[in-house]
Amino acid sequence: MKNIFAIFKKELRRFFTDKRMLFMLIMPGIIIFALYSLIGNFIPEADPDYTYIVYVENDTAEFASFHTNEMYKTEIHSISEWDKESVLNAIKEGDVHLFISYEEDIINKIATYEPSSGDPAPRIEMYYNSSSMESSNIFTYYSGILNAYEATISNKFDINPGLTQYDMATQEDMTARVLTSMLPYMMMIFLFSGCMAVVTESIAGEKERGTIASLLITPIKRSELAIGKILALSVTSLVSAGSSFIGLLVSLPQLLKGMNFTLDIYTPGAYFALLAVLIVTVLIFTVLLSMVSAISKSVKEATSYGVPLMLIVVVLGLSTLMSTGSVKSIWLYLIPLYNSVQCLVGIFSLTFNPMHFVVTVISNLLFVVGGVFVLAKMFNNEKIMFSR
Amino acid sequence: MKEILKITDLRKTFNLSLKQRKLEGTNVKKKVAVDGLSFSAYEGEIYGLLGPNGAGKTTTLRVISTLIKADEGDVFVDGISVKENPDEVRKRIGFMTSEMKMEGFFTPNYLFDFFSELHNVPEQVKKSRKDMLFKKFGIDKFAEVKISDLSTGMKQKVSLAIALVNDPKILVFDEPTSGLDVITAKVVTDFLLSLKEEGRTIIISTHIFSLVEKVCDRVGIVIDGKMKVSDTIGNIMGGKSLEEAFFEIYKGSEGKEQ
Ligand SMILES: Nc1ncnc2c1ncn2[C@@H]1O[C@H](COP(=O)(O)OP(=O)(O)O)[C@@H](O)[C@H]1O
Ligand SMILES: [Mg+2]
Repeated sequence: MKNIFAIFKKELRRFFTDKRMLFMLIMPGIIIFALYSLIGNFIPEADPDYTYIVYVENDTAEFASFHTNEMYKTEIHSISEWDKESVLNAIKEGDVHLFISYEEDIINKIATYEPSSGDPAPRIEMYYNSSSMESSNIFTYYSGILNAYEATISNKFDINPGLTQYDMATQEDMTARVLTSMLPYMMMIFLFSGCMAVVTESIAGEKERGTIASLLITPIKRSELAIGKILALSVTSLVSAGSSFIGLLVSLPQLLKGMNFTLDIYTPGAYFALLAVLIVTVLIFTVLLSMVSAISKSVKEATSYGVPLMLIVVVLGLSTLMSTGSVKSIWLYLIPLYNSVQCLVGIFSLTFNPMHFVVTVISNLLFVVGGVFVLAKMFNNEKIMFSR
Repeated sequence: MKEILKITDLRKTFNLSLKQRKLEGTNVKKKVAVDGLSFSAYEGEIYGLLGPNGAGKTTTLRVISTLIKADEGDVFVDGISVKENPDEVRKRIGFMTSEMKMEGFFTPNYLFDFFSELHNVPEQVKKSRKDMLFKKFGIDKFAEVKISDLSTGMKQKVSLAIALVNDPKILVFDEPTSGLDVITAKVVTDFLLSLKEEGRTIIISTHIFSLVEKVCDRVGIVIDGKMKVSDTIGNIMGGKSLEEAFFEIYKGSEGKEQ
C-alpha cells in the first residue's frame, strides 16, 4: 500500500512538475479551443433584431402561433399580395426569406387523413435559399416546429399546440442531437490520445531509458508497481482529456451559435454518470496501453503498436455518429469500450439507462483488475522486460 | 574470509528472436549465454568478471541481482537463495550499470527519498545516510538541481549514492566505466575502492584489463559462458601482464572448442 502510493506520487510529480510534460498534457485543449474558436469566427452571427420576411399561402389561424417566437422576428405576408412566381424570384434575390405553402383547408385534411389509406398526405411546401444565411435560419426554424407538430398529430386526439412546449422540445432535441453526434466520439478520442501520450511515455519510456531496472531491483511487489502506475497514469490521462474537453466546451457556444442550444437539459445525475464512465474508460485505456508499452522497447514502438487500438476507438466512435440512442441489449454492455461509447450516447441523447451504466462500470472494473494482474505478471517476466 | 556470494553451476539459455538471429547471422534458435558457471566472492573484496563481449557477464550479474532467473543452478547472497527468496536478496543488494539512467526531471534529493521509501528505509536512518553520502560525493550543493541539469560526473555520483540507499552488503556493477570519460571513470573507480574500505563486497564485470588491475582483488575469466579461471589477480598473472595471461587462457579455450 505504501509502495503503491510512493509510485503514484512519483508518477504524478513527474507529469505535473515538469513544464514540458505539463505543456504536453494541456496542449490538446488549447489547440482545440484555438481551432474551434477560429472556425466559430467564420460563422456569421445572427442579428437578434433581424426581421425575416415570410410569405404564406393558405395560412390558417391554427398555425398562426408558429409565427411568433423568441429567436426570430418575422414579418408575415399573405401570398395574395403577390403571385408565387415573383415571391420565388424575391427569395432568389434575397428580398424574401421563406415561402410556406399549405394545402388548401389543411387543418381539416390533416384531421381526416388516414396514413394507412395510401392517399397522398396533406402537403406543406417550403421554399428557401440555402445560400442565404437568413433564409436558412428561418427555414430551419419552421421545419423544426412543423416536424415537432407533425410528431404530435400522429396521435390525433391531442392537437393542442401549446407553442412554448414545442419550442422547448426542439431545444432539447437539438442539443441532444448535436451533442450525441459529437461528444461520444470526441471524448473517446480525447481520452485515448491523452492516455497514449502519458502511458507510452511512462512505461515504454522507462524501458527505453533503462530506468525501469532500478525499480525492479527494489523489493517492491510487481503488482504494487502495476497498480501505482495505472492509477497515476489514469489520473494524468483524465486531466489531459479534461483539458481537451474544457477546450471544446469553451468553444462550443461560439461554434454552435445561432443554434438553439443549452446544457441545462442534463441533470446532475447525468454529469455524475458521465464522470464515472470517463473514469472507467480511462482505466481500461491505461491498462491496455500499459500492456502494449510493456512489450515495446521504445516509446516509438509502443506508439505504433497503439495504432490498431486507436483504430478500434475511432471505429467505435464513428459508429455513434448516426445513432440517436444507445443499444438496448444488456449483454452488449459487458464489452469494454463498446459499453463506454454506448453509455456516452445514452447520456447525451437522454436515453440513459441506469442498469446499462451499472453493468458497464462493473464489467470495466473487472477487466481493469484482470489487467493489473496481467501487467504485474508482465513486469515479472524477464522475456518481456529484458528482451532484445 | 566469509563467503558472501556463492554461485553454483549457473545456466541460462535465451531464445533468439528472428531479428537477433539475423543480426548475429545464425540459424540457431537458442543461445547458451551462461554455461555452468560457478564462483564465490568473499566479504570486503572486489571481484571482477573479465571476458569479451557476449561472454555472459551481464547475464550472470542480472541473475545475481534477481532481474532474470537462471535455468539451472542458484545464487546465494549472504546465504539467501535468489531462486527461493528474491525479495530478501533485493533488500541486501545494490545493482548498477554505467548505462542505468535516472529520470532527468527529478532532483537527487527526491530520488534518494523515493528509493529509500521503496527499500523501506526508516526516516531517521535515511536522513543520516543521505547527509553522509551527499557530503561524501559533494552532491549536497546540487541536491535540489534537476538530474538533467547536472554534469555527467555529478550524475554518476548521484546514481552511485542512490545505489547505496539500502546500505547493501554487496554491490553488483555491470561495466562500471564503459562509456564514461576519464574524469567520470575516475570518480567511479575511487568510489569502488572507498566502498571496499567500508567492508562491502563488490562484483564488477568488464572487458577492460586496466580496470581489473586497478581495483580487483580476485578475477574470474569468463569465455563463452564458462568460468575458465577464478583466482587472485596475482595468481592469474603469474609474473606476466594481465593481458598476456588472459590471451593465453583465451587461446587455450579456443583450441579445446575444436
Ligand atoms: N535478453 C536476451 N535475449 C536473447 N539473447 C540474449 C539476451 N541477453 C543476452 N543474450 C545473449 O547472451 C549472450 C551473452 O550476453 P551478455 O551476458 O550480455 O554478455 P556480456 O555482458 O558478457 O557481453 C550474448 O550472445 C547475447 O546475445
Ligand atoms: Mg555486458
